[in-house]
Amino acid sequence: METSPRNNKKQSIHKNPWFLGTLVCIFVISVLVNIPVEKRKYGLTQSSLTTDYTSLLPERIDRIVKAGSRTELQKIVKEANENRQQISIAGLQHSQGGHTYYKDSIVLDMKTFNKILKIDKQHKTIKVETGATWEDVQEAIQPYGLALKVTQSQSIFTIGGSLSVNAHGRDITFGPMAGTVREMTILTPTGDIKTVTRNDSEEWMKYVFGGYGLFGVILDVTLELTENDVYTIHTEELKTNEYEAYFSNLLRNDGTSMHYARVSVAPHSFLNEMYVIDYKNTGKKDHQTELKKERGARFGKLALDIGRQGGALEDLFWENQKLLIKSLDGDEITRNNAMRGNSAFMEFTKPGRVEVLQEFFVPVAQFEEYISDLRRFLPSNDKNEDFKIHNITVRYAAKDDYTYLNYAKGDMFGLVILIQHGLKEKEIDHAKAIIQGWTDLTLKHGGGYYLPYYQYQTIEQFRKIYPSWEMFHEEKIKRDPNGVFQNIFYDYYFE
Amino acid sequence: MKILSERYVPLVVTVGQVVIFPYYILWLKEASLTFTLFTWLFAAFSFSAALGYRLFQARKKPAISFIPFLYMGMGGIYLLVGNISTSFEVLPYLTLIFQVILGFLQGYHHAWHIMQNTFRLHAINHYLLVGMIMVGLSFVKIISPAIFITVFGTILFICGLVFLFKKNKDSVIFKLGDNEETEVE
Repeated sequence: METSPRNNKKQSIHKNPWFLGTLVCIFVISVLVNIPVEKRKYGLTQSSLTTDYTSLLPERIDRIVKAGSRTELQKIVKEANENRQQISIAGLQHSQGGHTYYKDSIVLDMKTFNKILKIDKQHKTIKVETGATWEDVQEAIQPYGLALKVTQSQSIFTIGGSLSVNAHGRDITFGPMAGTVREMTILTPTGDIKTVTRNDSEEWMKYVFGGYGLFGVILDVTLELTENDVYTIHTEELKTNEYEAYFSNLLRNDGTSMHYARVSVAPHSFLNEMYVIDYKNTGKKDHQTELKKERGARFGKLALDIGRQGGALEDLFWENQKLLIKSLDGDEITRNNAMRGNSAFMEFTKPGRVEVLQEFFVPVAQFEEYISDLRRFLPSNDKNEDFKIHNITVRYAAKDDYTYLNYAKGDMFGLVILIQHGLKEKEIDHAKAIIQGWTDLTLKHGGGYYLPYYQYQTIEQFRKIYPSWEMFHEEKIKRDPNGVFQNIFYDYYFE
Repeated sequence: MKILSERYVPLVVTVGQVVIFPYYILWLKEASLTFTLFTWLFAAFSFSAALGYRLFQARKKPAISFIPFLYMGMGGIYLLVGNISTSFEVLPYLTLIFQVILGFLQGYHHAWHIMQNTFRLHAINHYLLVGMIMVGLSFVKIISPAIFITVFGTILFICGLVFLFKKNKDSVIFKLGDNEETEVE
């Protein structure tokens, strides 16, 4: 069979060394830039053990139900109530103490229940299904020049999840997240669908928000919104003993809407230096700026990985963080974009080790004394320790009268701690001992700890810090007599 | 058959590569963590092997002088794989480099190997040896793939040295014999 010269050329191009060399180069570069930052597998699965973000509490579940329609969810809950089957509710599963699953339970995966139902520009509200993420909401309201009143520092979480843990973020003017919900539709443990407001005589909101999925499925909420203001970023380096006065002054002046701070965990400036980031009002509104996407996660992760090595490298990381923050001073940013912190760069994958969060709340007036005590309690250089602290972020949590199991009984600073430790039994026990000691120290200063994380604390500590636990428990039994809504968190603290 | 090393070393290398494959796969799976990355790393190996193969063919005079260094290169990579203790954050990037180098060297070696007279004989011996060794390994309790990979890396490195040493020695004998063919066996 004769072959045309054109065919010969076609056949030979793939054998050309230049072609093959180019192919290898292009492919290698493509792989290099696409090696995923997040490599761990976690979450809901029926084929093996279900976990949440930390993978610390693996458990076998009965089945996963992807939330579809309200009637379907209602049927599942009614059947479970009749058959005494247990149900857990899961969103993005970034809570870290088994709040989203339970042994042999049906897990409702709410991520598919995510429709935007209504945007009321005039009254500045949005009605949304609770499987939607904060990012979904931002995308829907940004064209209207609107922004959220309160959200978490990152926008990846589901609304239902954030409300169930009554999360807080960088806003310092609108109070707790639960206070920004005007109306809620809930599927109760008996399978009833109720639409309630804050004035509801049965106080469903008080139990459901910060109720860790134990009182029913939040189907939708109507959130209060505000204008998408434009802010000027103000950054400043401080000593930790100057922070109380700095923050009091900030609250007295109306000019700042959002604020957070970061305390050094580097050996040479351990709990001594900090920097603050304020978002000051410019009086301008924005309708056009696009929502920012996470960029430079690989670079950010590399920098954090350097800091994770501890010792001199952690000092280097801290110095660079300060430079980076200083470079932001004077920049303008919209409210929506200020509420979209990066998250992918924090990914950590190392077999045999885990990174977890803990959050301690301390009264604003106690900050200086607390930090001083903490400096004596923790080693400044944890390079050779199993229990390592990689970051402490400080945020303001205003007094919360909206939820029953509330963590902010007064105006508090929340210290969000990023901790790394080993997964061997003795390493976990060691981490437990340190965190329990830390909790006692916080308690001494009139503070407490946040419940969406792994249960390092003892039940006695929980009961001291959350004295309303008993009433919460009684109400749970009253409203959910067959124990339909169940999770590992409840099992540990209440059963 | 002029040189002993030319007869047996390629067989050791090709059999070894197949035998070590399951252990190497275990390591690679652990290093890549996700199935997507695992397949990408394989693809990088394949493309690079095609390049190595083609570059050997493109040479006007196949140069056997490269082969010992090629064995030592492969051995070096396996030794690194067996002994690396780096963060899982960096490992996928290193693994990609390893895969590209290994693919290139194996493609180049294969292109050279099939040109050798012993290749047809090796094919049968290769299958038989692999079968027997695999049956043998089934009785060995795996301690860690890293140990086997390190052992294979060392063997490859030694093969490279033997090949280099024997070839140099044979070429001296060849010269001393006034261009007469000298049987080493």
